[in-house]
Amino acid sequence: MAKKKLTKTLKDFWNGKPHSGEEGGRRLGDLYEDKTGLLKHREWRGVKDTFYYMYNIWGYNYVHMVLDILKFSNNPIDFIKGTWRYRWMGQTYLPVIHWFERGLQGVRGEALRASAWHYRAMVSASIHQICNFFNADTRLHGGKENDAYRHTIFANETTCGTLFYPWKDAGYQYLPMEMIPYFVTCHVNSHTVLNYIDAVQSIGLPGDPCPMCQAESGLFVLDDVPDSAPIIITCNEACDASVSTHTLQDWFANKPLFALPIPMQFDDPLLKKYCMNEIEEMWKFIEEQTGVPFSWESMKKYLERQNKLQRDEWEKWEVASKTDFYPINGVAQALFRIYSTQYGIQGDFWEEASEKVKKIMYKCVEKKINPFPQTRHRVIAWSCAPLYYSNWCTWAYNCWGLNTIINMDSLMFDMEIRTDSYENMLEDMATYHMWAPMRRMAVGGMHHIFELWDYMKRFNCDMVAMYDQLQCKGMQGVHGLFEDEFRKRNINAFWIPHALPDSRTVSRAEIRRQINDYMTTVMHEEPLDPSLLDFDDSMTW
Amino acid sequence: MKKCSCSFGKKLGKFLLKFCGIFVALNAVIFVIFFFDLDGKLLFNVVEPFLKKHYDNMERRDVLKEPYDLNKFPVYKYDD
Repeated sequence: MAKKKLTKTLKDFWNGKPHSGEEGGRRLGDLYEDKTGLLKHREWRGVKDTFYYMYNIWGYNYVHMVLDILKFSNNPIDFIKGTWRYRWMGQTYLPVIHWFERGLQGVRGEALRASAWHYRAMVSASIHQICNFFNADTRLHGGKENDAYRHTIFANETTCGTLFYPWKDAGYQYLPMEMIPYFVTCHVNSHTVLNYIDAVQSIGLPGDPCPMCQAESGLFVLDDVPDSAPIIITCNEACDASVSTHTLQDWFANKPLFALPIPMQFDDPLLKKYCMNEIEEMWKFIEEQTGVPFSWESMKKYLERQNKLQRDEWEKWEVASKTDFYPINGVAQALFRIYSTQYGIQGDFWEEASEKVKKIMYKCVEKKINPFPQTRHRVIAWSCAPLYYSNWCTWAYNCWGLNTIINMDSLMFDMEIRTDSYENMLEDMATYHMWAPMRRMAVGGMHHIFELWDYMKRFNCDMVAMYDQLQCKGMQGVHGLFEDEFRKRNINAFWIPHALPDSRTVSRAEIRRQINDYMTTVMHEEPLDPSLLDFDDSMTW
Repeated sequence: MKKCSCSFGKKLGKFLLKFCGIFVALNAVIFVIFFFDLDGKLLFNVVEPFLKKHYDNMERRDVLKEPYDLNKFPVYKYDD
C-alpha cells in the first residue's frame, strides 16, 4: 500500500497530477487565494512542464519585455515617464505575466508551448504600440513635436492597420488610440477600465450605452490619451454609441480629424462603392496632411505579408477542424486573431509566432499528440466575448472538458486582399473595413450572424458558447432568434451574459455559475475538476 | 592518479564550484519567486495600490473647459 502511494507520488511529481477528479485530480481551484485570484502557489505541472513554464514562458517573457522596450523605444526613460503619467500603462501592464497564468492554467505539453507563443506575440505587439505612443508624446517631451510625432497617424482602434500600409515604408506609424489604453488593458487588468467608464458617466452621459464606447470616451475625459500624432482618423465602430465617442474625441483631441464610417448596411454593392470612395478620401486626407503620396509598392508589400499570415491561419484551422491535434487553447486563439487582424503587419511578431505554432502543430499531427485529451465537447464561441474574462474557456476546459476550438473573433476577417491591381485591392479593402470587429457577425445583419451554423459544421463543433453582451442593443435584438434556432436545430448552447469590459455588471463567478448550471441540469455531466465549480475571484485582475 | 598541484587548476576548480553554487542558489531563488507567485503578490498588494494612489491624486487638465471649436479645421471632403 505504502509502495503504491510512493509510486503515485513519484509519478505525480514527474508528470504532474492527472486532470480529472476520478484519477486523483489536480484540484486547480484550491490553488487560488480567496477573492484576489492570486495563487497560493503555482500549479505543479510535472518536472518538464513546470520548468518549461518557469524558464521558457515566465522568465523568458519577463526578460523579453525588457528587450522589447529597448528595441522599440527611442529612449527607455520615456517608457518610465509614460508609466508614471498614464494609469492604463502603470496599473495595467505590470501584471502581464499573471495574464499568461490565467490563460494557460492547467495547460500542458504542446498546448502550453504553442499557446504561449500567441501570448508572446501579443505582448510584443503591445510594447511596440506603447513605445510608439511614448516616443512621440509631446507631454513626455516638454511639449515638443518631435520627428516621431510628425510620423504618427492616430486612428480609432476599429479602423484597421491595413488601411495605413501605403505610408509605412515612408516611416509613418499607424497608432490605434484605444487598443492599448482600452482594449488590451481589460484583458490584462480589468480594474483600470472602470475609471474611464465612471469618468464619462460623471460628466452626464447615461450608463446604458455600450461600455466600450463609454471607456473610450472616458480616456479623453480623464485626459489619459497621449498627444502622439498631429492627425486623427475616427470611425463609428459600426455602432450608434460610438458616433458619440468620435464627437467627444473630436472635441477633446482638437486636431485635424477625418471620420471614416463603417456602413451600417454593407451587403449592398452600391454601398460598397460608397465605402471605397470613403477609403480613398481618407487616403487623400493623409496625403494632404503628411505631404507624402500613397505608395502602391508599400501597400502591396505589407498586404502580401498579411495574406501569407491569413493562409497560415487557414492551414491551422484545417487541422483544428478535422483533427484533435490543434495545440492552441480557446483564449490564445481568439485574442491572437482579433489583435493581429486589427493591428496588421506592424512588425514581425505575428509571423514569428505563427511559424513557431505551425511547427508545434505539425509535430502534434505527425506524432498524433492530442493536446487537449480531456475534451468532452468541441465548442464554438459566438458574438463578442467578455474582455475581463476572456480566459473563461481555459476554466471551462479544466472544469468541464469544454474545448473552445474556434470563435467569432477569429473568423471576422476570414479573407485575403487581392494585390493584382489597385481596383481589386480597393474593393477587397472595403470589404475588410466593413467586416470590422463586432460588425460582420455581431451587428452585421441576419445573414452574417447566422454564419454560425456553417462554421459550426466546418469546425466540427457540437456545442455553442453564445456571448450575450447585455449593453449591445444590436445583439440584444437577436437573442430570441438564436434561442429559436438552437431549439429548431437541436443544438446544445449556453449563454454567457456580460458587459464587455465592465466586470461589475456580471461577475466572473456568475458566468461560471451559468455554465455550471447548464452542464449539470441540461447535459447531466459531472465536472472533471470539482474544485473549480465555485470560488471567489471578485477582486482579481 | 597524480593530483594536480598547480595553482591555476585549483583556482579554476574553486571558480567552477563557486559558479555552480551561485547558479544553483540563483535558480532556487527564482523558483521560489515563480512557484509561490511572489511577483504577482508584490504587484497586487504593493505596486498597484501605490500606483493607483498616484494616479488618483494626479492633477489633470479639465477637458470640459476647452471650447468645442467646430470651425477650427476645414471639412475634409475630396469627392466634389
